[in-house]
Amino acid sequence: MKTVIKIEDLHFKYPKKSVFAGLSIEVKEGDFVCIAGPNGAGKTTLLNLLCGLLRPISGSIKIDADPVKSYSAKKLAQKIAVVRQEFVPVFDFTVTEMVSMARTPYLGTFGFESKVDKELIAEALEMTDTAQFASRLLAEISGGERQRVFIARALAQNTAILLLDEPTTFLDLKHQVRIYDLLKKMQLEKGKTIVAVTHDINLAAQYCDETLLLGPDTTYRHGRTGDVFSTEQIEKVFAVRTFTGRVGKEKFFLPLGKFAKDSAAINPNTKGDTKNNTPSLSP
Amino acid sequence: MAQILTSKKLLHNLTICLLILAVVMCLCTFVGSQRISLLKALKGPGQSPGYNIDYEIFIIRLKRVILAAIVGAALAASGVILQALLRNPLADPYILGISSGAGLGAVIAVLSGITFTFAAGSPMAVFAFCGSILTITLVWYIGKSAAKSQLTSLLLAGVVVNAFFSAVIMFLTSIAKSDQLRTTIYWLMGNLTDKSSPVLIIASVSVIAGITLMFTLCNKLNAMTLGDQEAHALGVNIPRVRLIAFAVSAFITSVAVSLSGLIGFVGLIVPHAVRITFGPDHRQLLPLSAIAGALFLIMADTAARSLFGQEQLPVGVITAIAGGPFFLVLLAKYSRKVSWLK
Repeated sequence: MKTVIKIEDLHFKYPKKSVFAGLSIEVKEGDFVCIAGPNGAGKTTLLNLLCGLLRPISGSIKIDADPVKSYSAKKLAQKIAVVRQEFVPVFDFTVTEMVSMARTPYLGTFGFESKVDKELIAEALEMTDTAQFASRLLAEISGGERQRVFIARALAQNTAILLLDEPTTFLDLKHQVRIYDLLKKMQLEKGKTIVAVTHDINLAAQYCDETLLLGPDTTYRHGRTGDVFSTEQIEKVFAVRTFTGRVGKEKFFLPLGKFAKDSAAINPNTKGDTKNNTPSLSP
Repeated sequence: MAQILTSKKLLHNLTICLLILAVVMCLCTFVGSQRISLLKALKGPGQSPGYNIDYEIFIIRLKRVILAAIVGAALAASGVILQALLRNPLADPYILGISSGAGLGAVIAVLSGITFTFAAGSPMAVFAFCGSILTITLVWYIGKSAAKSQLTSLLLAGVVVNAFFSAVIMFLTSIAKSDQLRTTIYWLMGNLTDKSSPVLIIASVSVIAGITLMFTLCNKLNAMTLGDQEAHALGVNIPRVRLIAFAVSAFITSVAVSLSGLIGFVGLIVPHAVRITFGPDHRQLLPLSAIAGALFLIMADTAARSLFGQEQLPVGVITAIAGGPFFLVLLAKYSRKVSWLK
């Protein structure tokens, strides 16, 4: 597998806070990588560095062996598609109009979609199951449907890499799972390399091959998701007591605060009962 | 799959709208307080000035209709561009202080009694044009240097400059003589008086060139309405597009203002009316708004010069009185349902 994203010795800081000090990771083609960590650890900053919105202080970020800064906005948009949290646009675009904007980096001077563009748009609408409401306005559909529309747009952009910034925020459980299923489908069927920033470590554990866990004070851990997500790591990075269980091979983590109903029932070394996939809180 | 805008569909809609514009231009040329005969008017000027009065009135009205078309198209197109760039449905061509800059220029021209002209424009037109260009440049640099969030700081700079220049205008008008005051107030209310052919040619070429240039950036404008992060992700070179769009918008607005004074409402409601009818895709919205703006101002000016016999109202009064209810009807009834134009 070739390396599609290579970050070497990345340093970045805001005026009053250092975010990255020597971050180095590689992402292979076709991998599904999640970036997790507490608020302020630099997850979205890293995404913005990857898509060229921010520039590193030192170190390099390469996409397909070329530094990000060597790409024009147009060329970079032909390599990377970005999906952020769903939103309602100021003006009333229909679902089709929104998805067809994906072809912006490919359009000529007068900017009309070719037959190939239209085929890609139709395919993206079909794959994301958004074709059924393609003529409706974005303001008229639910948050979960809107997020699928933005993923359809990313798909129609026809890039090898897909970056997502907390794609399931504000969505209910059903829609969270649908979004991750869709992303996995895109990884498996289309060979997309997917990098998703997420707060939901349990969904990440279920779907992502690799994880970059950003900790406080510019620390980080990168590797196979199952290796990176350990009880000790989660409790250390997020500074919260957790109950760890298993669903099949994958672990899940239940954060428990001081006043949670079953908080008193667990001690630091509590493990769940994996029989019949029904975790228990008894010691 | 739901419809995507095609060049064929746009051409179809453009052709229909241009035909309507041509018909309205012809009709409005023959409407006014003085009746004229088409047959007599088409006979030409005759042997001497005043020989064929129908022809002369026809030419005066034709120039005025063309002037209204240029100004209406420029204001509506500028409104479309600024609403997209600022992601603000309430933006109009004057939002960044162009109105007060142009107004100040015009007031200075009137009060100083300057007779200097350039490119066949009156002193008021020349000063108003320079005033608006200087103001938008000032606002742009204040906005750029004030903060990283350029859009907000641009808007704030526009508001502050607008307030300051308006105060200066009020001060100057308060010390003006009565005839100067009348000229100034009439200009500030917006009116379409007779302009020479060279002025009309220069203005129409400028406005059409500006709109054509912007048309090539319309798909990028679509992306920019979603915000900077989204536009960047869709491959838009934001600083470049923003600079070109602001420059074009400021330029065509300055041309319009220098020709007609401050005509309100066109740049605000016409883009919305077209957006409600045809959708927000700028590849269609921009050219159709320009045509609709021309149509609207031609009809408003025809009403302004016809409703009260020989007396003429400032066209700005008509655009404001007629524009509001017209827009409300559109908003309530026709929201993207005009099937024969889709």
